[in-house]
This record gives sequence, structure tokens and C-alpha cells, in this order.
Amino acid sequence: MTSSARALVVLAVALALAPLALPPFFLQLLTEIAIVGLFATAFNLLMGFGGMVSFGHAAYFALGAYAAALLVKRAGIPMLLALPAAPLVAAVGALLFGVFIVRLTHTYFAMLSLAFAQIVFTIIFKWKSLTGGDDGLLDVWPPAALKSPAAYYYFTLATVALSLVALHAVSESPFGYALKSVRENPRRARFIGINVRRLQLCAFVISGAFSGLAGGLFAFYNGSIFPDFAYFTKSFEPLVVALLGGAQSFFGPVAGAFAFKILEWLISRQWPVYWPLFLGTIVVLVIVALPQGFVGLAGGRTWWTRVTGKT
Amino acid sequence: MVDPSDRQDLVLQTIGLRKHFGGVLAVNGVNLSVPPGDLRAIIGPNGAGKTTLFNLLTGDLARDSGRIYFAGAEVSGLSPDRLCRQGMGRTFQITSIFRRLTALENVQTAFLSHHRRHYDILTPARRLYRDDAFALLERVGLHEQARKPSGNLPHGDQRRLELAIALAGCPRLLLLDEPTAGMAPRERHEIMALVARIAGDTGLTVVFTEHDMDVVFAVARGITVLHQGAVLTEGSPDAVRGNPDVQRVYLGQPAGR
Repeated sequence: MTSSARALVVLAVALALAPLALPPFFLQLLTEIAIVGLFATAFNLLMGFGGMVSFGHAAYFALGAYAAALLVKRAGIPMLLALPAAPLVAAVGALLFGVFIVRLTHTYFAMLSLAFAQIVFTIIFKWKSLTGGDDGLLDVWPPAALKSPAAYYYFTLATVALSLVALHAVSESPFGYALKSVRENPRRARFIGINVRRLQLCAFVISGAFSGLAGGLFAFYNGSIFPDFAYFTKSFEPLVVALLGGAQSFFGPVAGAFAFKILEWLISRQWPVYWPLFLGTIVVLVIVALPQGFVGLAGGRTWWTRVTGKT
Repeated sequence: MVDPSDRQDLVLQTIGLRKHFGGVLAVNGVNLSVPPGDLRAIIGPNGAGKTTLFNLLTGDLARDSGRIYFAGAEVSGLSPDRLCRQGMGRTFQITSIFRRLTALENVQTAFLSHHRRHYDILTPARRLYRDDAFALLERVGLHEQARKPSGNLPHGDQRRLELAIALAGCPRLLLLDEPTAGMAPRERHEIMALVARIAGDTGLTVVFTEHDMDVVFAVARGITVLHQGAVLTEGSPDAVRGNPDVQRVYLGQPAGR
């Protein structure tokens, strides 16, 4: 724990000093990494800790993005007051949909979560008068003080860091223990007195809320929002990021976000159309050789022992 | 028919409990009365309905008809988590633990749930009930394995762990579905002696199913014999051993070789 704590401190200092050394482009990349990292960590509270694989988390990301952006654009509420609405609206959405989704398990859970996300997508797409439909909402910017890449980077970094601290506390709390017990063995969990569905629903709402916060942060980073925030391809982003980094570890999805965004940048700079091909290949390689994700590398020579069979 | 209000003293009572699967009557009108402090074995040939009866008692299966009373109150139709909260503990025929958690975390989680802390999202759980969990693991002889992932423990140790998980809920009634399944004969006697000792120390009532007649006659205070989903006879080990019906349908030879 001490060595990983030290690594966290070094990372925090490096990220805090980044604006002194890096040009705006890289600050924007880091901002995106932080947002994707939060989204994937929130998603992984369900997958890694709760054993529930959602194929529809884009719904909560989009609900957060649209809630915050609509309050600014249509109601003229300042961004800093509108942003807290992102996790709240996403949490309400997660509660409404989650009631039905947690009644199912495995593939059915995944498919129903996907179905609800497609409903959210369709509503956003069709409700042109409110959401702008296919044209999205443009000019969704933060106030002048946060508009520079460095300022918004710091704002995002602080928000994401606090959120990760909160999610980490949840994962280490009695609730986190109970959630892991449900992942491991729902039947046994019931017979230590746990109401499994209710506990899963709570996890779903917490996960949805932080996904919504990630969506809200992204709306003001991007300056515009579109219905495809809720599209199913967006739902696979946190899944891929968590798998890349390591779903068994709390910090896996954050590590995955770094890997995902940096690889995306490097590869699409060279070969813009081939990024999905590379991504697919990388995901297959990681699943075969590194089932614990990139964080498995830090824990020892997992890939080596797996490929060679030697310890 | 027994009037349940007269039998407030019973820990567990069933009246006319019935369950069928398709055309098979797995449990066919079972009347069971278990007084406090009993160490009751439920025996019967394969297919007699032991496990189905267990799953009806624990709420894992819905009954077709009949009533179940636990500690004087009707609990028919309650879900497993509600029954557990009322003081019913159980182990499963196929070992049921949290395999990727350590033995300690398994028992800690059971304590956390028992003390209704499982919706607490603020307190770090690592130290909560750790001493209690260690003490309980020591009691079942697992304190040296506490930090190991429970899925890697030997089979017998996993069964002990499941017993510890069930005990962490401070049950009034412990239902053990073949607690010695898959164990070596010596280990079987050890674990049942452990159960008997814990039951004696705490006044816990235990109902268990078991195939090994040596084990049954060594520890049971009362025996219920199931045959084709119904109670064939019920009584002390000596009475059951001497019952000619039991010898005919079940033992096939005089018991207690």
C-alpha cells in the first residue's frame, strides 16, 4: 500500500504541475483522460465490484451532459450551479431504469441496460425543441475564469480527484464489502441477510450519478453536446477502458483511461481511420495476455507467467 | 392438526408443508417440530426430499401449501434475507462462500450485514468486526488461514468457513444441508463434534441432513426420517434405530453397525 500511495502522490504532483510544462493540446488530452477515467471508474463500481456488466452507461453520461447543458442554455443558470444537476439527474435516471434492470442478471441485465440507453438516445434525438436533436446544443462553455485549457484542466482534475476519493471510500466501505459478496455469490449474500436487489440498485444509482458527473464535465469541456453521447458505442467506452486498465483493481479504469486516450492520440495521428482496428487488436491482446489489465503489469510479471507458464 | 399457538416453545415447526416439481411430490405434507436446543438430524434415502425441505424452510423455494413457524411466528413465504434477519442461519449442500474474498473478509461481511452496516458507504470496513471475525475463525479452526483467498482453501476448510459465515449472524436456528459432504470420515466427525460443541455452548438449535449414519448417531439428539417426501418417523436415535419401518425402507439392515 505504501508504494502505491507513493505512486499516487507522485502522479498527483506531476498532474498538478503539468500546465507549467505542457502545451494546451496536452492539457486537453489530460482533461479528457480525467473525464474518461471518472466515467470508467463509476462504471467499474458495477462491473468490477458488483459483477454487473452494463451495456448502457452512455445513458447516464448523456443525462448528466444534457441536464447541465440545458440548465445553462435554456434556463440561463451559471455553469457552476448547473453542474451539480448532472449527477442528480443521472442518479434519478439510474434509479428509474435500475429498478427494472437489477431484476435481471448477466446477459439480460446487459441487454435491458442497453435498451434503456437506446430509449434515452431516441428521446434526445427526437425532442428537437428541447435538445436540438441531431444538431446538438452548441456554445456550452464554462464561465470566462474556467475557459482556458489550464483552468478547465485544474477544475476537472479537482472534481475528478474528489470523485475518485469518494468512489474509493465506497469501494472500501461496508457497502463495498457487501457489494463484492453479492458479486461473488448472491445466494449466499441473501443468507447473510442482504437484500441483493436493493443493494445492487444502490450501486447502480451511485455508478449512474458519477457517470452523469463525467458527462457534465465533458459537456463544458467540449463546448457542445450531441445525441451520440447516449449512443451504444459510447456505452462500450467505459467497458473497454476498464478492461484495458484492469477491472479487478480500483485504479485499473484510471490507468485504462491513460492508455486508451494516449493510444488513440498516437494511432489516429498516424492512421486516422484505423484506430478502431488497433483498439480491437489491443483489447484482444489484453484479454488474452493480461486478464488483470495494465495494472497487472505493476503487480508483477503476470503477462510473462501467463505466456510462458513460468513463475 | 396441531394448533401452532399451543407450541410457542418450538423453534421450528412446519404444518402440512408441500412442494411438487411437475408430477413429483418432493415434499408431501411434512409436519416437523423442533424444540429449542435440539440437534436434529433429517435423514432419508436419496430423493426423500431433504434438500427440498431445507430450501422450503430457508425461503429459497416457494412452497405449494402448508405453514412454517419460526420461534412462534409464521414465516411462510418470507425471503431468505428476511429469514436470516429473524435468526435463521444456513449452509448449503454445495459449499457456498465468497470465493475471491479472504476467509476474514467472508466472515467480516457476514458480521457487517448482521449489524446492519451494509449500507454504510463512509466508514472504512477493513477494521470493522475484525476481532470478532478472527475469534469466530479461531473457533472453527481457521485463524491461520484468515488472510488467504477463501476459494484456494482445501474443501474441508471451506466448509468450516461457511459454518463461520452462518454463525456470524448469531442465529437461533442453524440449518446445515449435508455439512460433511465430500469430507474424509475423520474430518466429518471433527466438524460435527464442533457443531455439537458450539450448539451446546450457545444453546443454538441445529437441524442438519446427513448421509453418514455413524455421524448421525454420534451427534444427533433427535432424528426425523423422511421417506418419499413425508415424515416416516421421528424420535430419539435409539427409537429410530429400533424402528422396523426405518430399517426396512432406509437402512436395509439393523443400524449402528
